[in-house]
Amino acid sequence: MSAMPEVYDDEELLAVLRQALAERQAVPPEFVEAAKNAFAWHNIDAELAELTYDSSRDAESAPSTRAETASIRALTFTSAHLTIELEVTHDSLLGQIVPAQPGTIKVQLRDGAESTVPADRIGRFTIRPMPAGTFRLHCKTSADADALTNWITL
Amino acid sequence: MSDGSSVSALVARISGGDQEAWNELVERYSPLVWSICQRYQLSRQDIDDVSQSVWLLLVENIASLRTAAALPGWLSTTTRHEIFRVLRVAHRHEHDDLPPDGQIPGDADAATIEEELIVAERNAALRAAFAELQPHCHDLLSLLMSDPPLAYAHISTMLGIPVGSIGPKRSRCLDHLRRSPHLAGIINQPARHPGVKETRR
Repeated sequence: MSAMPEVYDDEELLAVLRQALAERQAVPPEFVEAAKNAFAWHNIDAELAELTYDSSRDAESAPSTRAETASIRALTFTSAHLTIELEVTHDSLLGQIVPAQPGTIKVQLRDGAESTVPADRIGRFTIRPMPAGTFRLHCKTSADADALTNWITL
Repeated sequence: MSDGSSVSALVARISGGDQEAWNELVERYSPLVWSICQRYQLSRQDIDDVSQSVWLLLVENIASLRTAAALPGWLSTTTRHEIFRVLRVAHRHEHDDLPPDGQIPGDADAATIEEELIVAERNAALRAAFAELQPHCHDLLSLLMSDPPLAYAHISTMLGIPVGSIGPKRSRCLDHLRRSPHLAGIINQPARHPGVKETRR
């Protein structure tokens, strides 16, 4: 990528400057804030676990014929070394670390509040009550895998 | 090409753990990420999801970026990649036949993307240069860019300067802006002889 330097007369320069400032003003402050906060992760070895499956989005185009299911919604997050599967039930969040291994799950809220639940010998964990609002999970396993999910809103 | 040296300095400071430098980088390039997201009409939650991934991936990878000049291109590519992921999750069924990665349906062509990067770089450099102007220039140019435009008489009253001085001051302030190191290689001084303009790209 390279471009010849532009030559602008005063009118043109003022016009591109106005455009440049307007472009910055169009960006919501909280979008910029969240990006700044991402730096808190620079010395943490967590890999990003990205949302790769969401049953609620599939469900719209594939209506279920089952009248009642225990799981209201299923989500899958995938990082290079871990998969985190989540099932939403009526009062809790059931999780499974794949490959199965023990560890700890930190539930982080947008405001920085944090709570921790253990994952058992085969990687199962339960978060109850359901986190209110938007949250993400930071999963550390005894085998040193470390993953951080995207933000989740149920 | 550009303001590469000041971006290199930022990247070096960021690699050393400097949050202020990171903030500056975000100020500079968040409009690029935001504007790309806007084009694909994502929901606000999807935009936040894309954005989180892009910036966390940058935190992870910034030390391994080949050159600071590669940063805008990296951000553009990574943002599109993340948008593609979100769209794939959202429209799994409709897009089953898509290649697993790469082009987003209806994505801009390579030339448009390159043009967008050039404009993003220019705009980021202009904002950086403008922020460093002396206060009297900053204030005058801000008023001159008002929408709807303000009459010179009004600006004269607000700044306490004669109407007749606004034109010359405007020129001088814009010259200061052109000479900012941020704009070196992006915006050139006008040619000496009026009417002789360098060819644009």
